[in-house]
Amino acid sequence: MSVISLKGIKKIYQLGDNTVHALRGVSLDIEEGEFVAITGPSGSGKSTMMHILGCLDSPSEGEYLLNGKDVSNLPPQELADIRNRQIGFVFQGFNLLPRTSAVENVELPLLYSRPVMPNGERHNRAVAALTSMGLADRLDHHPSQLSGGQQQRVAIARALVNHPSLILADEPTGNLDSKTSIEVMRLLQELREKQGITIVLITHEPEIAAYGTRIISVRDGVIISDEKNIPRSVDILEDLPPIAAASGY
Amino acid sequence: MSAMVQVVLMAWNALMRNKVQTLLAMLGVMVGVGALVTSMALGKGAQEAIKDQLLAAGANMIIINSGNYQVERAGAGGSPADHASIIKPLSPRLRTAQWLPNPISNHSGIKLYRTHFEDDPMAEHDHPIASERLGDAMAGLGAAATLSLDDARAIREQLDGIEFVASGVHENARVAIAKTPEKQWFTRLHGTESQLPVIRSGWVFPYGRFLTQSQVRSAEQVMVLGKVVADRLFGENVNPVGEVLTLWNQEFTVVGVVASRSWASQPAAGDDQFDAVYIPVTTVHSLLNLSKLNTITVTTASAGETTIIAKQIEDLLRVRHGITEQMPDDFMVRTQSAQLLGKGLAPDVARIVAGNLESIEALTIEQLAASLQRANRTMLALLAGVAAVSLLVGGIGVMNLLLLSVTQRTREVGLRMAMGARSRDIASQFVIEAIVLSVVGGLVGITVGALISESLEQLFAWSTDVSLLSMVIAIVVAALLGTVASVYPAHRAAQLNPIGALNHE
Repeated sequence: MSVISLKGIKKIYQLGDNTVHALRGVSLDIEEGEFVAITGPSGSGKSTMMHILGCLDSPSEGEYLLNGKDVSNLPPQELADIRNRQIGFVFQGFNLLPRTSAVENVELPLLYSRPVMPNGERHNRAVAALTSMGLADRLDHHPSQLSGGQQQRVAIARALVNHPSLILADEPTGNLDSKTSIEVMRLLQELREKQGITIVLITHEPEIAAYGTRIISVRDGVIISDEKNIPRSVDILEDLPPIAAASGY
Repeated sequence: MSAMVQVVLMAWNALMRNKVQTLLAMLGVMVGVGALVTSMALGKGAQEAIKDQLLAAGANMIIINSGNYQVERAGAGGSPADHASIIKPLSPRLRTAQWLPNPISNHSGIKLYRTHFEDDPMAEHDHPIASERLGDAMAGLGAAATLSLDDARAIREQLDGIEFVASGVHENARVAIAKTPEKQWFTRLHGTESQLPVIRSGWVFPYGRFLTQSQVRSAEQVMVLGKVVADRLFGENVNPVGEVLTLWNQEFTVVGVVASRSWASQPAAGDDQFDAVYIPVTTVHSLLNLSKLNTITVTTASAGETTIIAKQIEDLLRVRHGITEQMPDDFMVRTQSAQLLGKGLAPDVARIVAGNLESIEALTIEQLAASLQRANRTMLALLAGVAAVSLLVGGIGVMNLLLLSVTQRTREVGLRMAMGARSRDIASQFVIEAIVLSVVGGLVGITVGALISESLEQLFAWSTDVSLLSMVIAIVVAALLGTVASVYPAHRAAQLNPIGALNHE
């Protein structure tokens, strides 16, 4: 069974007098354990696709099955529950709460668990998630006390803490230097390889998309290509000089 | 429970991310709640003061004066000397029975007359008659000293429902400091018993204590000074306990100073309570070789029984003094009264004075209470207005902070929504933050209000009373304020679109 199954998804916005066709009929299946990179220039509809995949928005037309369940027309409260249980988000700007410790940031999704999770269990799971990200010694640090890479690892820990079936990463390397970007991509690859987590990555950078097992290109609201990819290996890159790494090749 | 603590802690942490704004909003709530607590404390205090005043004035007090000047006013003649006019005409048979010199012999052989008018020039008497006693036209009438310590004991022992009995002798006296005799003061002297302070519930003792039972029993030469006397002789805020004063060429040791508890009756020169000195009644008796009392002061256990007990005292004393039906009392029983009900007094104040129907003092107490109550109401209305305006401003401050907070934290709201928060979760987060803010502000406000009340009492001698109830009310008001102020901001936050909120810069 596919983790994600999109059938004829359309999304139409009304912006004043203009009707914007953000998605013009997207059909797509993503299997468990895939690392899918969705690329495309700005305005291509990849962000809208990400919002629909993330249950932050509902399609105007079409059917979206998440783990076999139709989520295309659910009320906002049920979408919130699905986001909470099945999807982990990693954002471009980290979106960590300022002046709040790493542990508390990671606990955030667990606060909205239903039924309510006891304090102790919440704390333990947050600590475990941070430890798996190699941040066991940074539990009580505030975001401002962490490097960019560390902050993004906290964000990934937060995405993982509820054991979601899908990680949605929206330009996760957008604010990072190339070296840190590589670290984060390597981390995502490991999640897929070792834990079999399905990852959907949205990026406009081809060199970041190259870390995926499958690359989907979007333009003007439709998929223009959908190809398997041999994921780029980090180990090779590490031997290259920094400038080469920064340029990608 | 721990989940509740967690929620509150989280709200607190969120608030502390904007310390200055939070503290300013809290300040608004604090001022409002502080004003509320202060106004309630002043209102309660004023009511307590009026209550004290009425109790101090003696709602449950019966005063028995020796002599009976009341009958002079009641009599038709009006002249103090015209005692005959108040004596009811007797039937001829009784007149014969009484006026015939028909002595009865008791077992010891002493001739006794059943009754006799002292102004009957023909009567024979076994005691000094009125005309032979100084300042006394007729025994038992006018200002005669007809009460005795035995009468006081009889009241104490024979009647039920009596709380305390204190006998008193009242004189004018000149007291002087023994070491510096030129320092002297002419004042009221009360010979009394140790229980007087219990009866005078409005008394406090800034220095020393009142006369003890053993001092009274052994007729010691000790003295308690009214505050006015102490101030005049020794100066204000000087502890005179242990000093020696002279009275009637005798030395008396000061053991205490008595002052008023209530701001409504401050000691003043010339008043009977505080421009006065108190010494044991037994000492007066032994030094002046007296045996009579001027007054017996009685308190009843219940204010409602005052009238009944006053009647019982009257009957008892008539029997003890051998007064027949037709004769007027040779004493006068007064109760403090209470026709104050339904005249604008607070219910509990009225309740204290209820049950006492007759009094010659009613008018003054009533006037005092009514004017106090009026002043009190005006002040309370003013303070309540201040409190209401402050609370309104405080509430607007909280709402303003929250609206600002919703704008500043739009991304956070979007993030929380992406993490699975429902709009209800978002709304309750802002409501809880507002309540935490208001309740913390309210707690500080209560403390500040209590401090203000206390300093008003210290500095201006205003009566205040910060009750537990007023604190509970203040907290509830603060929590309600937070809730109401947060409704609109919380609604706005909850209505945010997660995508728009996440992309908000």
